[in-house]
Amino acid sequence: MMAPLLALVLALVALLPGWFGGFPPGRLLGLAASHAGLALAGVVPAAALGLALGVLVTRPAGRALRPAADALAAAAQAVPPVVAVALAVPAMGFGWGPTILALLLYGLMPVLRATVAALEAVPPEARLAALALGYTPAGALREVELPLAWPLVLDGLRVALVLAVATAAVGALAGAATLGTPIVLGLQNQNQLLVLQGAAATAALAFAAEGALLAASTYAARGRRSSASPASSEGRPQSRKP
Amino acid sequence: MIHFENVSVRFGGTTALSEVTLEVPAGMLCVLVGPSGSGKSTLMKLVNRLVEPSAGRVLVRGSDVAGQDPARLRRSIGYVMQSTGLFPHRTVAANIGTVPRLLGWDSSRIAARVADLLEMVQLDPGLAERLPGALSGGQAQRVGLARALAADPDILLMDEPFGAVDPITRRDLRAELRRIHAETGKTILLVTHDPEEALELASQVAVLRDGRLVAEGPPAALVAPDAPDFARTLLGGGQPGLRRLSLLPAEVAQDARPAPADAPALDEGATLADALSRMAETGRDVLALGQGSLRLEAVLARGR
Repeated sequence: MMAPLLALVLALVALLPGWFGGFPPGRLLGLAASHAGLALAGVVPAAALGLALGVLVTRPAGRALRPAADALAAAAQAVPPVVAVALAVPAMGFGWGPTILALLLYGLMPVLRATVAALEAVPPEARLAALALGYTPAGALREVELPLAWPLVLDGLRVALVLAVATAAVGALAGAATLGTPIVLGLQNQNQLLVLQGAAATAALAFAAEGALLAASTYAARGRRSSASPASSEGRPQSRKP
Repeated sequence: MIHFENVSVRFGGTTALSEVTLEVPAGMLCVLVGPSGSGKSTLMKLVNRLVEPSAGRVLVRGSDVAGQDPARLRRSIGYVMQSTGLFPHRTVAANIGTVPRLLGWDSSRIAARVADLLEMVQLDPGLAERLPGALSGGQAQRVGLARALAADPDILLMDEPFGAVDPITRRDLRAELRRIHAETGKTILLVTHDPEEALELASQVAVLRDGRLVAEGPPAALVAPDAPDFARTLLGGGQPGLRRLSLLPAEVAQDARPAPADAPALDEGATLADALSRMAETGRDVLALGQGSLRLEAVLARGR
């Protein structure tokens, strides 16, 4: 409930000064679109890689890789995105590349952690039952483990997305058009209004992303519940046979 | 139907089963009983390859399970577990239809089968669209049983199926299982640590201790005076003589001589323990049983 409201307030804070000599609203909206694209370009591979690694290290065959994957994700998270961008520019040049790499590294750990925790929280008896009834290991993962793990995985994806949107601003340092652009401009020209606008717009976009994903997951959960069990919405517990 | 040949199972350094040989003929309700850690659950899980033998062979329907695809083997064998293992994200109907779906049945055939099974385990058809979380323990256990029976397997494995429900529900479920076994003639392997449950349900009992099979046979034989001590103590519950009498129908000690006209009558289907109880409460040593009679000395002779 809070996220859309905060997004709206912050968007007003970012846009209003445009009519009073600040960064022009039209350009700010254009930068927001590019910012969102860059954030997605970073978070999608992070989510895919984090999910894949999370599934891998919870399989019997991949269990030995668990410490290595944990260390990798922690190390990736420990590198500040600004540093990652700065280090990547000489190798990758200016543009989206360095920022996508930084966001990929930064988003990996939340997704990996959430995926592993979610798969480990699947009731062991549900997993055993799936195998005992004749699911193949892949079938048990697809039909039983992932559906049960999904709500927690989604939480991790939301964290990664919000982090990516908030962090994509550093892309301005490597020449990518993002909402970090007015911040960098403001810092160079000692114009605090531009810094405020860029920061507020970035935060507004992050809250909007959070709100959108929350709404999507609530909607998906409601759809699943109502298609699964119309009776469960009835308030009264019904007569129970032992 | 199921044949364990010299089977041993080792997990790392510990031995869970050593050199167990046991034959379970078709149609038997074989109860595996023993203290916890005796290996009874491990023995059962060998049948559908949830556990692999370290040595020896397990034959199901005449062929070694080691050469069979685990998923296909498991789909042909029903499985019931103590914690039910129902899939919490799937409705009762979808849970029950799991194995038929894996076998590729079409949806109308699955729906019809689910309706039949709900009736067989005496559940309200209105529960079909509920999620397992909305069920009582007894209902959930019935759904678990229905799910195991869904594709009409000829073998059913049950791992402490009634361990997690209250005593009254447990009694109902046991009666239900006896009825289903009598109706369907399936071969059932049931694990329990409850000796009373073992004697009540079994047509064959296998007693395990520390990974070894220490006794095997019909229930009455395992509480007989010549049964191995461990089995007799475990199953006898301090009163092996009475337990044995409770497993024998009164007819086995029937006397062709008619009973005196005023002798109390014994109901049909009564056991020798019922007869002894009737004698104790009436103070008489002869009862009328059908056209003949039942005498105290004949009852006592059967307890030995």
